[in-house]
Amino acid sequence: MLAAVRSATLLGVEGRPVTVEVHVSTGLPGFQIVGLPDEACRESRDRVRAAVMSSGLPWPSCRMTVNLAPSNQRKGGSGLDLAIAVGLLIANGEVPPDAVADLGFIGELGLDGSLRAVAGVAPMVGALSDLTPVVARASFREARAISPGPVRVAACLREIVDALTGVAPWPDEPDDDYVDDEPPIPDLADVRGQALARRALEVAAAGGHHLLLVGPPGAGKTMLAQRLTGLLPPLTPALALEATMVHSAAGVRLPSVGMIRRAPFRAPHHSSSMVSLVGGGTSSLRPGEISLAHGGVLFLDELGEFSPMVLDGLRQPLEEGVIRVARARASATLPARFLLVAATNPCPCGGGPPGACDCDDGARLRYLRRLSGPLLDRFDLRVGVSRPGVDDLLQSGGGESTAAAADRVSTARSAAVEIRGMLNSEIPASHLDILAPLQPAARLMLRNELERERLTGRGYHRIRRVSRTIADLDGDTSAAVAEQHVALALQLRVRLRVSVREQVA
Amino acid sequence: MKTDLPPEAYAAALASFPHMSIHRLGALLRHHPPDEAYAIASGEHRPAGLIERVLADPDICAAWRRAGRSSLLDEVWDRCNRLGVRVLLHGATDYPHLLVNDPLPPPVLFAEGDLSLLEGRRAGIVGTRNATAAGRDTATTLGRQLADAGVHVVSGLARGIDGCVHRGALRSDGAGRPIAVVASGHDVIYPREHRVLWASVAECGLLLSECAPGTAPEAYRFPMRNRVIAALSEVVIVVESRQQGGSLITVNEAIERNVPLMAVPGGVHNRAATGTNQLIRDGAGMVVDVTDVLIELAMDHRRSSGATIDSRPRPSGADLTVYETCAGEPRTIDGLALACSLSLVDAAMAVARLERSGWIQQSDGWFEAVGSPLR
Repeated sequence: MLAAVRSATLLGVEGRPVTVEVHVSTGLPGFQIVGLPDEACRESRDRVRAAVMSSGLPWPSCRMTVNLAPSNQRKGGSGLDLAIAVGLLIANGEVPPDAVADLGFIGELGLDGSLRAVAGVAPMVGALSDLTPVVARASFREARAISPGPVRVAACLREIVDALTGVAPWPDEPDDDYVDDEPPIPDLADVRGQALARRALEVAAAGGHHLLLVGPPGAGKTMLAQRLTGLLPPLTPALALEATMVHSAAGVRLPSVGMIRRAPFRAPHHSSSMVSLVGGGTSSLRPGEISLAHGGVLFLDELGEFSPMVLDGLRQPLEEGVIRVARARASATLPARFLLVAATNPCPCGGGPPGACDCDDGARLRYLRRLSGPLLDRFDLRVGVSRPGVDDLLQSGGGESTAAAADRVSTARSAAVEIRGMLNSEIPASHLDILAPLQPAARLMLRNELERERLTGRGYHRIRRVSRTIADLDGDTSAAVAEQHVALALQLRVRLRVSVREQVA
Repeated sequence: MKTDLPPEAYAAALASFPHMSIHRLGALLRHHPPDEAYAIASGEHRPAGLIERVLADPDICAAWRRAGRSSLLDEVWDRCNRLGVRVLLHGATDYPHLLVNDPLPPPVLFAEGDLSLLEGRRAGIVGTRNATAAGRDTATTLGRQLADAGVHVVSGLARGIDGCVHRGALRSDGAGRPIAVVASGHDVIYPREHRVLWASVAECGLLLSECAPGTAPEAYRFPMRNRVIAALSEVVIVVESRQQGGSLITVNEAIERNVPLMAVPGGVHNRAATGTNQLIRDGAGMVVDVTDVLIELAMDHRRSSGATIDSRPRPSGADLTVYETCAGEPRTIDGLALACSLSLVDAAMAVARLERSGWIQQSDGWFEAVGSPLR
């Protein structure tokens, strides 16, 4: 007997339809899976056998061959278990073939026949958009968020077989117990003092400018970075879908609504490996932290402690908004458009006001050398953060709340997109004079900085983009950039003393 | 043994032996002429006295024998000649008389430049390598003004204060010249970024070292170098130093040699000034400007006085408030906005104007007042 059942596997953040073909014939009893299964997939042989027998269904002693088509593509993961089991049952005549014609099966089987959730249900369901997906109860929200039609759920193999044979109806969908289980975003009002850093967050959110926070330990760099996501507008539908796909593919828990609507915040530790950050690794090319931060904020604390190779790996995605992970057998393009926020101490001892640092020059140089160069150039904003004073800490009223700042950010963002067609950080250097003209006084101020070598050519373009954003935030969306906007932009680009002689301007 | 080399060649080679300290070199050269001392060290002659005990150490004995057998003797002498470095032996006629009666005189001194500078008036200026902008400014001004007054400036060519002092002295049109005592060979420039400064000091002033050419700047050589600075100075001035800085070694050496001590006071919150403020509390003379030093040296100080014209445009209004706040202690832009009750944008405008006219300077996000204070 021959049977064919539809399912899907995952590659990167994309689902790939897979047809599970089962052939049962006489011969030496055996069970074989062909079609480039990976280790987890090959093991489904044993899971399927146990699950079928635990569900009280017969296990024929025949020769059974399972082919996963297209057979030149590598298949990974345990999500094909259910499809293989259903295929076998059809081939054995336990289930009528017509019953599965418009169904797609995604799920892992337990030895007791129970159905378990797998990572990547969202993209896999997306790949089977013409079919009705059958998934584990735990995957329901994820599948429903993506699927255009109805979604079938089940708790175990037996329930599915009963539904397919018409013995029992399909089990009910789980209760739509929508609870807002997302943790609240920390509010900017908790931050005392730090007027410049607050402004920097606002500018970063409004213009999409990457931000580097420089300051001693305890200055509140992490606290500030965590509050940036609150300033970003909710994800657009397209971006939300992409983010949901990535989170699902990586097996990261999705909010109970099923879709990710809020800008994600990812803060990988500085010991993270290259693969964990940019993605890849397994044969299914799991998305890395930069893809999980798609549409949101990637926060790298202690930037200097990251391995230089890992940081170099960030350069391409920063430029292109995607990361292309290629392996010998497969390659995938993962979305990675994120706002990079990094924090670093100015030197190993933490620094402080001039004269307070007691690192020798060698140590200081070694510490900052990893940062200098191409990566440091990608940051439009470099802000010095100092420990808040005692008066600031004891002051009873906090600063402005996130909501008030987020309003300004959203106005400035929409104005930028409306007038210039893009966020200010994306304005190409050649279009700066058309899209972000300067007033004569502002031009003079920048000229002065350039002449005194306090600004490099690259820094000049970045300052212009940042000052455009500052002007937008001030409400001067259409007029030319004024002197005071440039002055503030210059303050948001602190000069780092990499050594006694050298400064990164 | 070769006979065509002068005794200085043997002394210079001995100075570049491994494990050769000032004390061991002194013990060797005090009792023997250099060629004989060289033979003893390389194991060709029987040692006697103190040096016998040093050679009892098998490591030292083996290392010195190896050095004695190598071509070190010719190499070091060649290098000295090529670099134009003179080798001065303790006890020789051209040895600086200032050091002859020192408690721990350098047994061999390598000199490049004008030795007659040691006959003139000399002030030593030392300080931290990690100086604030204000400290570097003070050091440069002091070096220049002392040189204007004809005082030679002794320092160590290190990063920070030392380098600024020499730079200041070189900038002067007066008779004063820089005198540098370094802790490495004349051809081993440390720190590397002082390459140009190093060459100009050797050319226009005097560059001294206890180390033979080719010697690396190992950490233990710096305290010894500081003793020579103290010994060559008529007065030692500390510009900026932490509680436990290398400059305080120079201070102790100066105290041991009865050299008067002066210090430039700094702000109470300035960590780079804790050492100097402590010195003043302990009785060191206070240096606010060059006149204080000239009075200490009992020189006519009227020459250097006179109104200096500040060409910078005078700040006014909010800028003045911002400048005065920075002048107290370094501030961040947040701190300035808060202290002067200005908005962030106004504070940014004010510092942009002040920075342009040269009243303040920014580093790592902190603003410091620089140059002579507003009068």
